[in-house]
Order: sequence, then structure tokens, then C-alpha cells
Amino acid sequence: MHKIKILLFATMRTRAKRSSLELEIKKDSTVAELKEILVAEIPALEASLHHTLVSIDREFAFDEDIIPENAEIALFPPVSGG
Amino acid sequence: MNPSLFPTIVSITEDEIDLNILLDKITLTSTGAAAIFTGMVRGETSRTGQAQGINYAPHETTYLEYEAYKPMAEEKMLQVAKEIREKWGVVEGIAIVQRIGKLYPRTPTVLIACTASHRDTGVFDAARYGIDRLKEIVPVWKKEIMPDGEEWVEGEYIPKEGE
Repeated sequence: MHKIKILLFATMRTRAKRSSLELEIKKDSTVAELKEILVAEIPALEASLHHTLVSIDREFAFDEDIIPENAEIALFPPVSGG
Repeated sequence: MNPSLFPTIVSITEDEIDLNILLDKITLTSTGAAAIFTGMVRGETSRTGQAQGINYAPHETTYLEYEAYKPMAEEKMLQVAKEIREKWGVVEGIAIVQRIGKLYPRTPTVLIACTASHRDTGVFDAARYGIDRLKEIVPVWKKEIMPDGEEWVEGEYIPKEGE
């Protein structure tokens, strides 16, 4: 098991009522597995998870990607800047 | 000037966007043209249609509240600048600035400027590409506050591996 920090932005932050959290995950967990753990921890996030983007260490990440130790994870909706 | 020294400025800021300062930083002695795009908060939307995945009817906007994942946003802005340089080797200076925080109608929120030796070098297209790409991959979001409620604006672009 290792501890990771997750940042939440925009809709995700509002739904979760927090901007970050820490979770324990198994070594070699994937992004898809992380999403399951996250929904168990914060059920309010489930509704938005299907169109949530994920980043690992500030690069876009995908369901099958493995989360390295000490990674900085972020979850957020498709971007709407400009 | 050696192209590897061409200036690239990227920034997520809460401060007012100052075009003159930015232009000064991306103007070289060989520069003869700058293409600048700036977007501002629209207080009255009269057009019906679709923007960033949301159907909208004519409405008023009281203000927009922007937030960013700053370190990733600045890295992705550098990536946009790199892509511009790969597509338009003539581009000399690039400035990409996104303002965040609470921004009211008529306020500039974003600026992208590209400079080149002449206007017919593709520099207009380069700036256009820059703003289009920013709206796809730079992690910034806005919440729209209207007289009768508020709503997060969500985009629709899903980045692919390597973006």
C-alpha cells in the first residue's frame, strides 16, 4: 500500500466539498481502480466520473495507466478556460 | 536571433493582463508583426447555440469565476507554444496568459500573442491555433454566475495519450 495525494478541481471540488484528499492504494493500482476507491470514499463523485479527466504528475492519464508512488493525481472535468 | 532564444511567456495570473508589457517582451529587432487574440467576459449573450458542450439561450452573465490547476496549466501552455513553433517555424515570440479569479463583463480573461517578421507568415493562424488549443488542454475552468443562479462551464474535449 502507498499513500497518494489527489487534487480536485471545478465540479469535482464542488461535489466533493474539498479540494484535496489522501488515499491509500495498492502498489501498481491503475487509474480505473483509483476511481473505484474514490467513489467508495466520496459517493457524490460518482455522477461526474464518466467524463472526468485524470492527470498523473501533471500529464493526462487514462484508465489503464499505473499510478506511481508519490504521484500527484488530479481529477477534473474537461477544461473550459479562455 | 538564434531561434532557441526566441521568447516564450506563459502565465496563470490573478493580475490584470497588460498587453504593452507582453508585446514588449515578445518583440525582437526582426519582428514586424504581432497577431493578438484576447477573449473577454461577455455580459450579454444574444446568440443561441452550443459552446463547450452546453446549449445556451440568450442570457446575462454577472461575472465569471476562473480557477486553474496552475502548475499543470503552465506546463500545458508551454506545450501549446511548442506545438505552435513546430507548425509555424517563423513565429518569433509567443505570449500565452490566462487570468483567473472573479472577472466581470468587458474584462480580458485570456491573451495569446505571436510575433513574426511579417504578417503573411502564418502568424494569424498561429495565434488562432494557440487559443483553440488552450481551450482543449490547459486545465482552467470557469463558473458562470448569472442573475438567477450559477453553473460550472465544462468543456467537451477529451485529451488523447501524449497530449
